[in-house]
Amino acid sequence: MAKVLIISELTDSCRKIIEEIKKNGIESILSEKTPENILLQIEQYMPDIVLIDTDFENCEIITKQIKSKTIQQNTQILLLLEKDKNIDFLNFADGYISTPVCKNILIHTINSHIKIKKSLEQLGENNRELARSLYQLNVLYNTSSQFAGTLDKDKLYSIMLEALEKTLSFDISCALVFSPAGDNKIFIHSLCEPTESLREALSLRVTLEYKNLFENQPLPYKTNLEGIEIIQKVKPSHIQNIFDLRALNYDSLFAPIKVGDHFFGVIELFRNTPFTKEDVTCFQSIVHQVALPLRSATLYEEIKNTNIKLEKLERLKSDFVSIVSHELRTPLTPINNSLEIVLSGQAGEISDDAKNFINMAKRNVTRLSGIIEDLLDLSRVQTGKLDYKYKITKLTPSLELIQKTFEQVAAEKNINVSLEIEDNLPEVYADSHRIEQIISNLVTNALKFTPKGGSVKISAKVEDESEIDKSLLVMPICKLSGKYIKISVKDTGIGIKKENIPKIFEKFLQIENSLTRNIGGVGLGLSITKQLLDAHLGAIAVISEENKGSDFSFYIPLADEKKMFIMDTNQTFGTGDDSGILHIKEKTNCGFIDEVLKENLIKLSKKSKEFKKDGDYFVLLPDTSISALDFMEKTILDEFKKPVWQNCDIVLKKAHSKKDGKELKKILEKINI
Amino acid sequence: MKKILIVDDEKDIVETLAFMLKTKGFECICAYDGEEGLKLAKECSPDLIILDVMMPKINGYKICRLLKYDNKYKNIPIIMVTARSQEEDKVIGEETGADEYITKPFEFGDIIEAINRYLK
Repeated sequence: MAKVLIISELTDSCRKIIEEIKKNGIESILSEKTPENILLQIEQYMPDIVLIDTDFENCEIITKQIKSKTIQQNTQILLLLEKDKNIDFLNFADGYISTPVCKNILIHTINSHIKIKKSLEQLGENNRELARSLYQLNVLYNTSSQFAGTLDKDKLYSIMLEALEKTLSFDISCALVFSPAGDNKIFIHSLCEPTESLREALSLRVTLEYKNLFENQPLPYKTNLEGIEIIQKVKPSHIQNIFDLRALNYDSLFAPIKVGDHFFGVIELFRNTPFTKEDVTCFQSIVHQVALPLRSATLYEEIKNTNIKLEKLERLKSDFVSIVSHELRTPLTPINNSLEIVLSGQAGEISDDAKNFINMAKRNVTRLSGIIEDLLDLSRVQTGKLDYKYKITKLTPSLELIQKTFEQVAAEKNINVSLEIEDNLPEVYADSHRIEQIISNLVTNALKFTPKGGSVKISAKVEDESEIDKSLLVMPICKLSGKYIKISVKDTGIGIKKENIPKIFEKFLQIENSLTRNIGGVGLGLSITKQLLDAHLGAIAVISEENKGSDFSFYIPLADEKKMFIMDTNQTFGTGDDSGILHIKEKTNCGFIDEVLKENLIKLSKKSKEFKKDGDYFVLLPDTSISALDFMEKTILDEFKKPVWQNCDIVLKKAHSKKDGKELKKILEKINI
Repeated sequence: MKKILIVDDEKDIVETLAFMLKTKGFECICAYDGEEGLKLAKECSPDLIILDVMMPKINGYKICRLLKYDNKYKNIPIIMVTARSQEEDKVIGEETGADEYITKPFEFGDIIEAINRYLK
């Protein structure tokens, strides 16, 4: 029922008003006399309407004071005003009724002001709700961007709990979360310190709720409360109070943390005051929001673990290959020796037939040791243990040596091996032994796949980067620039299908491909060739036509294309001196310290500007392991695309020993750094 | 007659190598582990040593270093025979001072050629 306070002397007209109001079902009382008492009365009685007689003593002060009271903001003030009477505080009132009072106007005015008051109250309430929703929305928005910023699960949970606390001001929250690794946790965040029994009760309750979720279904994670890690957090300002078991009677919200089939845990909130519909929506939204990044975090964890496993496997495989190769090589030595002794006749005369067969055995020992050599090389290339002895060298002697080596084998198959070298072939900066290995691999293949009576042509010439058909290159690790020596091995063999060309550089291709099984070899040669070329910053191109022949051409940068970079991934680190040498230490076998690297590259690129004035000599000393190559592609190549570097070339060098260090020093002296 | 010390824990390798070297007119002393090898190197003053890398007790690199840093023995040429195993990779690059490296399995021709280079 609406309430009216009448501030007036108890005059006749006042009595009439009271009577009339009562008739219309509205409650009313008469006021005290003094302003202080009246204000107190208003606070206690909380009238909807205050009716003030302007003849009442101090009515102006009373009106102003009521108006300024914030607690009764919406209380309507009506003045009883004699017709034509002028008062200057009319503005402080919400309306007036002229006296003598007309019954209808009185009641009508009072009723409409009661309505106004109610509307105002409703409006205020709506505004407050709106502000709260806006705040919740803001928190939600901030939270979602925070969620996107991390893949750390614990951090995600703590962002979630913080957001819930901000939006819902819960008294206690209890979350049970699982991880595939088995380290399950319970988070209890509360306003006040919970008692031991309440903590136990909360843990039990949340576990039961979790089990209820999967009634008659297998649980996604086992629960074992014993030994479970409980992470507790109490708001520092409320530490003096405690929560006991009565907190369980608070209003509560419960939700599983999951997205699709991915289940991460459950959470329950407790609050002394009841949760509203909006609170429920907000709660569900936050809990749902955390599930998505949790899934990403889980996937990320899985990928990380798989990667670690893969790396370990790769290393194990390499170690295995290396150990097995060594074990194979040792017994081969006395076999070979014994055969040689028998062949030499020192152990007694042997027949021609016996000689023939022993020769056969010996040939196969050589072949077997070649395969072991390949296996070892491959595992070395992959683990970065292959030694390169780079120097400025001519390739002509290597080419001639190889032609000579293969002459006899070729003659047996009636294949002509020709050699064509451009006059004055310039020098390259390379490990000539490895270059010989590359050419020898290519010639071996050419002879293997060329039928009797065919031909193999080896040629060498200088070619500029612009003359090279890039579409024929097989996965080059760096952009070509400047001049190269091109060495081609062209045969009239069976050729390769175009779609198979990239595949032939994979390991063990022959083993996988049963069609070519009738031809010997384990298919490691080209894989090693490719990696050796990568280490020299070279490239390889293949042209082939089925049943007509193949042309394998590889490119090695010329030595006089100066401007080298030195980067050492094994020994020292930092750009310590002014030599323009970048030293980078490899932290582990499987990854570089990216940040350090970038930092050093930036330093170096600054330096390169100074160096450009005279000579532009930089040398890179990377390890040629897989990680080094990965890193070359990712970081260095990106870096070297920048214009500062455009006049520089990269030379790879690996320094394992002091001796190499000295050699390096010599190179540096030679190029005047 | 030139004296050659062969040190290798693979008995078969030592035997075949010694047989072949004898036919080429060398005198051979054989040792089957690092310790024995080092002892014989010091006692018998060989003209040249053929040394395996991975051996029990003392590895070949160590023997090589011990001899090469000793003024009394540093002039004896040393040919290291390596199976290029992973264990060896770890010590590779250390200054051993060996005069020559030959990879297993080797051809007699290579060994004889190397020996002749140092003993002429």
